[in-house]
Amino acid sequence: MLDKLLIIINTVLSNRGKNPISAITENSHLRNDIGFDSLDLAELTVRIEAAYDVDIFEDGIVNTIGEILQKIEK
Amino acid sequence: MNILVTGVSKGLGLSITESILQKGWNVYGISRSMSNELQKLSDAYPGHLFWISYDLSDTDNVKNDIFKDWIGFETEMHGFVNNAALAYDDIITNLNIASLTDMYKVNVFTPMNITKYIIRQFLLHQIKGSIVHLSSISVHTGYKGLSMYASTKGALEAFSKNTAREWGEVGIRSNSLIAGFMETEMSSTLTTDQKNRIYQRTSLKKAVEKTSVAETIVFLLSEQSQSITGQNIHVDAGTI
Repeated sequence: MLDKLLIIINTVLSNRGKNPISAITENSHLRNDIGFDSLDLAELTVRIEAAYDVDIFEDGIVNTIGEILQKIEK
Repeated sequence: MNILVTGVSKGLGLSITESILQKGWNVYGISRSMSNELQKLSDAYPGHLFWISYDLSDTDNVKNDIFKDWIGFETEMHGFVNNAALAYDDIITNLNIASLTDMYKVNVFTPMNITKYIIRQFLLHQIKGSIVHLSSISVHTGYKGLSMYASTKGALEAFSKNTAREWGEVGIRSNSLIAGFMETEMSSTLTTDQKNRIYQRTSLKKAVEKTSVAETIVFLLSEQSQSITGQNIHVDAGTI
């Protein structure tokens, strides 16, 4: 699951002209560690929804990879 | 190019649909019902017009009914024309809150929700999409009895300008097309005298042609307008 999320995250970073990252953990913070801004997070949301049919921002803000995993696995 | 258009069954929406189809693009059209005129367009451009019945007073099922079940996440969308609107006209002292709420749902809340999902669709496919909101000259000049209707369109103009600012850095554009008075069903309740008084306030002294509005919308959807965003484009026979 983390591998697939990493691919999605790097797709967003690449589309937005940012450098890819090599690894994520459940504790990785979307803004502070990965460097996403609000528009990056919007693209991340639609890519995760296309892959997992879950809108991670539907009922509040998510901050970490662990919180995304919780929503996907619910 | 795939363009989502609301209110396609009659009036201006029909003209917009025809202009887009003439361009060789596809229309994903929404209206409450199919009309004979729309069916004719569908027959004339086979495979280019997709249609569903949806009541835009339903603010809640936009995602499922329009984007998930009908358009589909896999479909690349390139534009959205927010054309459908309800006109609840009365003087302010007669304001009925239920009627006002219904109008806001159709004219403002559902279009804002559609904008949410069309931008998501643009992002998913890396499309520099174009959004056009139909506004009205009544926002800028004021007409007796139109204050409530005009307020919905003023809301859209503000929403459009801020959409442009918020999403411009990924190439997504949003503009308002400010139409003057046209001969459509929406203005059919006006008397000839009322219409003439409205036309006297225009430079051209006549009604706005639907095709002129429709062709301007096609321009705003096209690559030719790639540097135009956050604007109010007046197609109003020179209303002053």
